[in-house]
Amino acid sequence: MARPLWRGSLSFGLVNVPVALLPATKDLDVHFHQLSKKTNARLEIRRICTKENTEVDYDELGHGYETDGGKQVVLTDEELDAVAPDKTRTIDIEQFVDVCDIDPVFFDSSYFLVPDEQGEGPTRAYHLLVEAMRDQRRAAIGRFVLRTKEHLAAIRVRDDLLMVTTMRFADEVRDPKDLPLPDGRKHKPSDDEIDNAVALLEELSGGFDPKHLTDRHRDRLLKIIKRKQEGETIKAPAAPETPKAVPNLLEALERSLQDVRGREKAGSRG
Amino acid sequence: MPARSIWNGAIALGAVTVPIKVFGATEDQQIRFREVHLPDGAPVAHVLVDPTKDDAEVDRDDVVKGYEVKEGEWVELTDDEVKAADQPKRKAIELEEFVPRADIDPVYYDKPYNLAPQAGAEDGYALLAEAMDRTERVGIGRVVLRTKEQLVALRVTDGLIRMHTLHARDEVVAGKDLKVPRPKKKPARREIDMAGALVEQLSGDFQPGRYKDTYRDRVMKLVDAKAKGKEPKLARPKEPEATDDLLAALEASVKAGKK
Repeated sequence: MARPLWRGSLSFGLVNVPVALLPATKDLDVHFHQLSKKTNARLEIRRICTKENTEVDYDELGHGYETDGGKQVVLTDEELDAVAPDKTRTIDIEQFVDVCDIDPVFFDSSYFLVPDEQGEGPTRAYHLLVEAMRDQRRAAIGRFVLRTKEHLAAIRVRDDLLMVTTMRFADEVRDPKDLPLPDGRKHKPSDDEIDNAVALLEELSGGFDPKHLTDRHRDRLLKIIKRKQEGETIKAPAAPETPKAVPNLLEALERSLQDVRGREKAGSRG
Repeated sequence: MPARSIWNGAIALGAVTVPIKVFGATEDQQIRFREVHLPDGAPVAHVLVDPTKDDAEVDRDDVVKGYEVKEGEWVELTDDEVKAADQPKRKAIELEEFVPRADIDPVYYDKPYNLAPQAGAEDGYALLAEAMDRTERVGIGRVVLRTKEQLVALRVTDGLIRMHTLHARDEVVAGKDLKVPRPKKKPARREIDMAGALVEQLSGDFQPGRYKDTYRDRVMKLVDAKAKGKEPKLARPKEPEATDDLLAALEASVKAGKK
């Protein structure tokens, strides 16, 4: 098993299941490193104490907070852990909700929760939870402290395992009231416009297929790197233009519909 | 303070183009600490050093971005050269298809942004929002933000269109690749029923406002106490014990919930 990011207990009523947290996503971006122009060496970042000018060991790192009075208070990892000790070790299921009711704006990162003990009891308890939640297509809401932050979390079944997605708290989601959103009375679409827009959406609709979620940037960037390596000069592209608002929505919708339906007839869709 | 947009462009759906601005949708409320060196309380600086020059600090002007093509061999790349990778025809979120809202597993969602229409594009924005709302569908498309093409989903909530960047399919870990122990005996029908009853008991509507981050307040209390010179007591977590008798624990939980 890869090194878990967290280990603790999932608590469901009076049932406790030892679990470990593993990442459910991986970063496959093409990453660059910082290099020295002079020596061509790969540079490294060091944590340096500004007073002693020496490198700081990881276990000598503290968390400094400046109070309104300008005084610095220093907290240690142990002190931060002790703030909510049980939450650093337990995800307590508080409620079950319909996963479709959660606006994705709340979702942050996803992890697999896997059984952390090999014994028959804990593994059975784990798989029982999987069974109970699979039946009902529900997400369990709980919370836990991961590194020095409390997370709200939604737990559900994916790939026959429990997956936890950390969520933002309500006050971490921006209220859109300051945005210049259209006034519903002044910008009410006509029935014709709605009918055509809905028809266009239906024409372009299908089931969600993750196969379409390909990262094209990765391959393209690797090609650029190859060309550069072979000595080619890579020119910056011209800045793309922002399309203007269409003058006549209905006309543009009708044109789009004709186009999509035409493509379908020609059998070239997809 | 009015929010500042981080990108300007358009939503493009067939021949329909709706100029929009992109805003951040979230704000981190985490208490901000700075790293300090515990023995002397001095701030810790992150310094870029050259390990081949006895860890000498490197001037920012002497730094280039590079990709290691093979060990010890680098290709330097500027932002402009990175931009040459995608070369979009126009500055637009190009919508490609629409899928039922509930179909996208939460694991695919990455970062959310709020979209607002540019002046003059309100009608198109309102229409697109209305159509997505009526069909309960989410638009999937691509857009080049800064230097990288992103997969995005457009989704409407109360007339607001949000853009979510999505993880590519190969960035999502498959459960079958994790070696997870299986029980020898499958859960018994009675255990599943009892667990189901407990799930039922705890079911309700999701109300985000119900959950408050109490940890933040506690950390601030700790900061205040320490500022006054009090030494905090270090409470230790209770070690949760793995459940032995599954059925008994479930029955007791259901019973406790009924009271």
